[in-house]
Amino acid sequence: MKYYLGIDIGSVSTNIIAMDTKYNVCFNQYIRANGQPLESVKQGMKKLRDAVGCEDEDILGIGTTGSGRELAGVLVGADVIKNEITAHATATLHFHPEASTIFEIGGQDSKIIILQDGMVTDFAMNTVCAAGTGSFLDHQAERLGVPIEQFGSLALSAEKDVRIAGRCTVFAESDMIAKQQYGFSKAEIIKGLCTALVRNYINNLGRAKTLKPPFIFQGGVAANVGIRKAFEDEVGEKVIIPKYYNVMGAIGSAILAKEYIEENKIEKPAFKGFEQLELEFKPTSFECNGCSNMCEVIRVISSDNEVLAVWGDKCGKYAGTSKASRLAK
Amino acid sequence: MKVSFPHMGCITGYKRLMEKLGHEVIMPDTPTQRTMDLGVKYSPEFICIPFKVMMGTYIECAEKGAEVIVSSGGNGPCRAGMYPDVHQKVLEELGYDTKVIVFDNMFVDFKAFYQKILMIKNNTPTHKLIGIAIFCYNLIKKMDRLEKQLKIRRAYELNQGDFTKAWKKIVKMFEACETNADLRRAYKKAIDMYDSIPVRHVEESDRIRVGIVGEIYVIMEPSVNKNTEEILNSLGVEVENVQYISDWVEHNVVPKWLPFPRSHRIFNLSDKISPINCGGHDKENMGWVIDFARRGFDGVVHLMPFACLPELVNLGKFPAVSEELNLPILSLSLDEQMGEAHVKTRLEAFTDLIRSKHYAKQRTRLDDVAETLESAAKKVGDKVGEVRDNLTTTPKTPKYQTK
Repeated sequence: MKYYLGIDIGSVSTNIIAMDTKYNVCFNQYIRANGQPLESVKQGMKKLRDAVGCEDEDILGIGTTGSGRELAGVLVGADVIKNEITAHATATLHFHPEASTIFEIGGQDSKIIILQDGMVTDFAMNTVCAAGTGSFLDHQAERLGVPIEQFGSLALSAEKDVRIAGRCTVFAESDMIAKQQYGFSKAEIIKGLCTALVRNYINNLGRAKTLKPPFIFQGGVAANVGIRKAFEDEVGEKVIIPKYYNVMGAIGSAILAKEYIEENKIEKPAFKGFEQLELEFKPTSFECNGCSNMCEVIRVISSDNEVLAVWGDKCGKYAGTSKASRLAK
Repeated sequence: MKVSFPHMGCITGYKRLMEKLGHEVIMPDTPTQRTMDLGVKYSPEFICIPFKVMMGTYIECAEKGAEVIVSSGGNGPCRAGMYPDVHQKVLEELGYDTKVIVFDNMFVDFKAFYQKILMIKNNTPTHKLIGIAIFCYNLIKKMDRLEKQLKIRRAYELNQGDFTKAWKKIVKMFEACETNADLRRAYKKAIDMYDSIPVRHVEESDRIRVGIVGEIYVIMEPSVNKNTEEILNSLGVEVENVQYISDWVEHNVVPKWLPFPRSHRIFNLSDKISPINCGGHDKENMGWVIDFARRGFDGVVHLMPFACLPELVNLGKFPAVSEELNLPILSLSLDEQMGEAHVKTRLEAFTDLIRSKHYAKQRTRLDDVAETLESAAKKVGDKVGEVRDNLTTTPKTPKYQTK
């Protein structure tokens, strides 16, 4: 069997999938990265190799996406490095070609994507705050002592509505504490929080957009039935959760890699091999003193002291010194 | 006098003007993190990012000994109108002896304008002054023309960074120019430099064009807009910016009833959507958006400082305008905390969006052509069939009848 791989390095999780040439997802994995995306990529790739039983030559191409896409792209040798919006839209259109609106809520960011005739026609990403994202839910779950997995079902068990301010996490949290002092139950407060989060999301991202069904809800937070219910109440329609809701970004990047490779008839993918991933990578950083920008330059160094990638220099002084850029030429 | 000015895009023109008038020029540095930090520290908290960056630049110039800072002002409800006074006050409070001189629209208060001219002109005789003005106008006009080309041709460079490097050399070349003949030579050489850079060939129909509108400072200064233009170019997109210093001069100096420059006409394009000017460039920007749509651009990137009033007015109108003109518009709100990665992700996604839209448009155009051809072929076929039918149905009269 031959496979295309997709890797999505988000702020909270690292997702890896393998897809065969007929778009069937053979392997998917959602790893909580705990701030160590590089480690989780290595782990994930190892697991993938064991689970699928593939060798280097079985990999036809790799796509990476997410906020860590460039770093991961250099480490594994990606053919396509794409932004999250395109990746998510590609995956959704593959599974649900009829989709019109995608709600995507991840760890640190949330986005809304409007589709028409199988094409992205509009999108928005949260800008200034993280009020409507997974990290905030995580934090509140921890504060209330409710495991995040049970958060949603607990919200569904609430009988009454509690209004919680959704504009900003600071307001929301102080509102939650106030409501809890009035004696509302945990379930009611959580339900109120889910409603507030969705209200904030629609107000922020859906502003001045016509949201048309069918609605698709994906991203890690889609596991939360409470949020899904709140979305359905808000839009007054059924909200579809795709089968692979939490790894859609990775699937999208694998599809993009497949399209790219087939379109350009590339025989040899950029994949560096599973062996290469066993090696040690060391990200180091230093402050450049060339000007008063004082850029924090990040370098990824391999075990044999070769600079694999460089980031963070505004002037481009170091940009040409890495292996990746030399290879690009 | 030791003179300085804010850093706003390409500043060679100001430099040469001040030097020609016999001033010593303190060159402002490209805004860096330190500039930003200084500006944020000494500015009112809720002021917009252009004020803060300019404040930082002024402090850095004052540190280097600038006696006078020359800048342009604004009028109307935009806060830029009060910039110079607040800048002056902050500089005084910090103990600098630097004076901020602002050139406003000369038609509003000509006397004050003239007095400022007298101060800057440094006893240069009038006939010389005219020569200097012509030289400097020539210089900025030529450089702006080259910069416009840069933002189009850079989209197709084979080795990333070639055009940016060439541009840096061109700026140095123009800084050394002394006469109008030098300018002509430099311009010719610059064009040769552009032509010698290897580019990939892209069909006219495959070109993706994006217009940039927004608040003048953030669209002109790449270090504040996180190199938006360069990022777009590196994604293979042609960029057209609506603000250049020579256009600004023309817009403010040439009377409105004359047929040129185009910016006067652009101003009136948006009469329906924006009947009044809310300050800043909101009305022009709306006009430019309409102009871009008419010229068949694929999208518009709208850059604004966080909480900028005139551009917020536009932001509110954009969803409806975008739908009516069938032109995607991406708005980015800029402030000190925004990392480059955010801008990049959004620009990348936006480029994917307009690219797929561009090809879809092309496909429908091709489909239309195919349909017309098909219907034409069908008509011809029908006609042929008809003739043939006629031929077959008409009874054949044998020529020779045999008995």
